[in-house]
Amino acid sequence: MVSLKEKFERIVGADHVSDGAAERYVYSRDMTENPPREPQLVVMPSTAEEVQKIVRLANEERVPLVPFATGQSVGGLTIPQVDDAVIVDLKRMNKILNVDEEGMYMVIEPGVTFGHVRKYLDESHPDLRYTYAISSPFTSVIANALLQGLCDLSTRYGSMAEFINGLEAVLPTGEIVRVGSGILGDDNWFGRYPLPDLVGLFTGWQGMTGIVTKMALQLWPKKPFTRHFALFTFGEFMTTDLLKQIVRADLAEDAGALSFSVVKALIGMPAPIEAIEGEPDYGTFLTLSGITSLELDEKVRVLKRIVDRSKAEEPKNLLIPFEAVARLMSEEAYGWVDFPSDSFKQLTEYDGLTWMGTYIHPKNWGEALFKGRKIVEKYGYELMAFLKPMKGMHFCEFKFIIRFKRDDENLKRVHQCNNELLDLALDLKAIPYKTPVWSAKKLHERADPNFIELVRRIRDLLDPNGIMNPGRWGL
Amino acid sequence: MTSDESVIEQWLHSCVRCSNCKYVFREYFPSCPAGEHFGFETYYASGRIWLAQALYKGDLEWEPSLLDPIFACTTCGNCEIQCLAPHSEHIVDMIEELRARAVQEIGGLPSHIRFRENVVQCHNPYGAEHHNRNLVETHSLPLQAETVYFVGCTSNYREIQIRDATISVLKKAGVDFTVVDEYCCGSPLIRTGQLAPVNEAAQHNVDAIRDAGAKRVVTSCSGCYRTLSRDYPKLGIDLGVEVMHITQLLKELIDKGAIVPRPTEHRPTITWHDPCHLGRHMGIYDEPRTVISKLPVDLVEMETTRENAWCCGAGGGAKAAYNDWSVETSRERIEQALRTGAEFIVTACPFCSRNLRDGCSEDGPPVIDLTELVDRFI
Ligand SMILES: Cc1cc2nc3c(=O)[nH]c(=O)nc-3n(C[C@H](O)[C@H](O)[C@H](O)COP(=O)(O)OP(=O)(O)OC[C@H]3O[C@@H](n4cnc5c(N)ncnc54)[C@H](O)[C@@H]3O)c2cc1C
Ligand code: SF4
Ligand code: SF4
Repeated sequence: MVSLKEKFERIVGADHVSDGAAERYVYSRDMTENPPREPQLVVMPSTAEEVQKIVRLANEERVPLVPFATGQSVGGLTIPQVDDAVIVDLKRMNKILNVDEEGMYMVIEPGVTFGHVRKYLDESHPDLRYTYAISSPFTSVIANALLQGLCDLSTRYGSMAEFINGLEAVLPTGEIVRVGSGILGDDNWFGRYPLPDLVGLFTGWQGMTGIVTKMALQLWPKKPFTRHFALFTFGEFMTTDLLKQIVRADLAEDAGALSFSVVKALIGMPAPIEAIEGEPDYGTFLTLSGITSLELDEKVRVLKRIVDRSKAEEPKNLLIPFEAVARLMSEEAYGWVDFPSDSFKQLTEYDGLTWMGTYIHPKNWGEALFKGRKIVEKYGYELMAFLKPMKGMHFCEFKFIIRFKRDDENLKRVHQCNNELLDLALDLKAIPYKTPVWSAKKLHERADPNFIELVRRIRDLLDPNGIMNPGRWGL
Repeated sequence: MTSDESVIEQWLHSCVRCSNCKYVFREYFPSCPAGEHFGFETYYASGRIWLAQALYKGDLEWEPSLLDPIFACTTCGNCEIQCLAPHSEHIVDMIEELRARAVQEIGGLPSHIRFRENVVQCHNPYGAEHHNRNLVETHSLPLQAETVYFVGCTSNYREIQIRDATISVLKKAGVDFTVVDEYCCGSPLIRTGQLAPVNEAAQHNVDAIRDAGAKRVVTSCSGCYRTLSRDYPKLGIDLGVEVMHITQLLKELIDKGAIVPRPTEHRPTITWHDPCHLGRHMGIYDEPRTVISKLPVDLVEMETTRENAWCCGAGGGAKAAYNDWSVETSRERIEQALRTGAEFIVTACPFCSRNLRDGCSEDGPPVIDLTELVDRFI
């Protein structure tokens, strides 16, 4: 009898299938506290047709599949939730298929990373840019968009899912489908409308509705005039109020705020970093841009005025040009604003990294930070909040990052801390993102049950055999 | 190594699996020949580190399917350069310790065991008849000298043109040197976790070098250079003399005028391949380039160079155990060299020479050692 492994080998070649103990171990866990579970196999397809055959075989054999890009979701999202799963590692599908200069989009495969997009655009399309996360440069651009992540244009344009013009996916039943204007042909991925917006069948689903094999994502013209500033502020409410004013005035392309501890980590302070009485609570990196220097100068002038006004309440608020930051810290600092992934270094201290992150109503942002801070302090972890005004201040993001040693005690403690943070977030009606199963389950308890039921029905409709990432999102 | 300190234990809670070690930082070229070829997460540094930690903690049982992820690594150290985490400079040490544990627990790979047996029986991994000392007669060398030329097994039994060019250059430069009855330095054994026979061979070399009354040892091989200068002290073995790589000595000889390159009509264009054991492992990047700059040649660098150089694919026991992948890796380097338009690929490690040549098809430029290049011009 032909074994399951052999059947997969016939699809992708023997070199691209493994059931070795090493692969089963390494793909069973990630940097977070989420509990591990071993897959039975790892397969690495290189084309959409191979993905299609894998999915068809999985249906025949009733084998669960878990898509894997680079496994850095910080939510345990590639850890199988059921036994005997097959991990579908997509890193061999790493082609940038097309950049359309006029329509300003790129079409890429799921193994393409931020770093590779960045390099390719700089070399081949220097007037265009994508948007970059603070994750390592080598995380998947498609997975990030599917997870509705946030990058350095999110302050203006919102979550990464907004950047999707369309996609191609292998459905859980094996059909290859397209959604978006690309339904009319390969050179036509200009947008999602006016059509039933089926991109939403794939975003936020954590790989439960199919495997995306191709995606068209918006690019943006680089602005000719750009300046960066660092803003140091005090207190959660005052900081968020000030950011709201700045972003509502449409001044900033990006505004990423960090607990001051992260700023200290960036300048090389060794772990663990403690907050010191009297130092600012937050450092925000602001990017301002303009089509003309006049436009930029005017934005800078308004920014300064807003910050000056804030000094009536907090005289120590400080806005400094980024050149001064670079002089103080190092030339490396330019890398952080130019390509935020370059700054992720401070998160590589230990083998453990986790966070509880959410999107939240602006009215609850300050309170979430204020109370969340107390929780993190209670557990004795470093204060590493990251917050971003989103989509022109229509909503906000916050997360508390915890870097930790993955020993038994910390795994437990970190989970408790994230649990408390989640309860707080849900009390404030925040929606957790990149949710591990335990977190999704808590969301279900509070959410409109008809919504959860609808999600379940759509999932069952698309995946009658329940092979795509079963158990994910608590379903 | 022999010390009780476990580098795996020391870094038990490092490596967040951020993937940075997979590519050259800010350049985004692939950095890891193993990961690039095999693709599974386990074949990148991070995968091996997590395996090392799991095996150390007892979260994973030893079994033979672990051997490939543990041994399919050239120990090129490129991951160390790209990793931004605190453990970065210890990654290869962790991999080597993991290998030593694998050898103890489940035995090594058959091809590695074979060359270990050769080292024990014939004092070289190739199983060639041990004839090092004959060089003294052939080249009328003294029994004692200030400098010992440590030929290394690959130069002595495979890439003999490197040995001959080195002896020729040293003679032309008037260096007071000899060769001794050297045994394999132990590099192939240390890199593949087979530590047991190393101390005896090393002690033999210490005695031979001492008997020659030498003040310094110079090696052709980047692997020998690393082993004599970095691994011997860790093993508690004191050579008691200065250890130099030939590229360093060539620079010294040019600087003091003992070697004066002749001008030529045709200045060939060459490219330089940084051997991993010389560059990333020992930090020697400038000396060979300085030597090249004094020769009547034009150097064109490849797209990955110095600490980011793509590995030739031969190291860490990869050539013996995974020849196809090893040659495929060298082929990548040849492609880079071809893109420079160079007429020669020059390097300074017999092992790199051998594998780069294996990766060259008819279109590839000839691969020569720096000593051969120098010898042509003096
Ligand atoms: C230090 C650090 C900092 C980070 N900072 C940010 C940040 O600033 N902003 C941000 O948004 N994110 C951030 N992240 C998270 C990370 O960048 C994204 O989650 C990432 O881009 C997702 O890619 P991945 O390769 O990790 O996906 P994976 O973890 O491999 O996959 C994530 C999920 O998507 C599914 N999936 C993957 N590919 C497909 C596919 N082709 N089709 C269907 N389902 C698929 C998987 O099954 C899984 O459920 C950070 C991560 C780290 C480690
Ligand atoms: S070895 Fe370093 S670069 Fe590689 S995954 Fe681990 S921490 Fe990241
Ligand atoms: S030493 Fe080289 S081959 Fe081995 S893991 Fe590091 S980069 Fe890859």
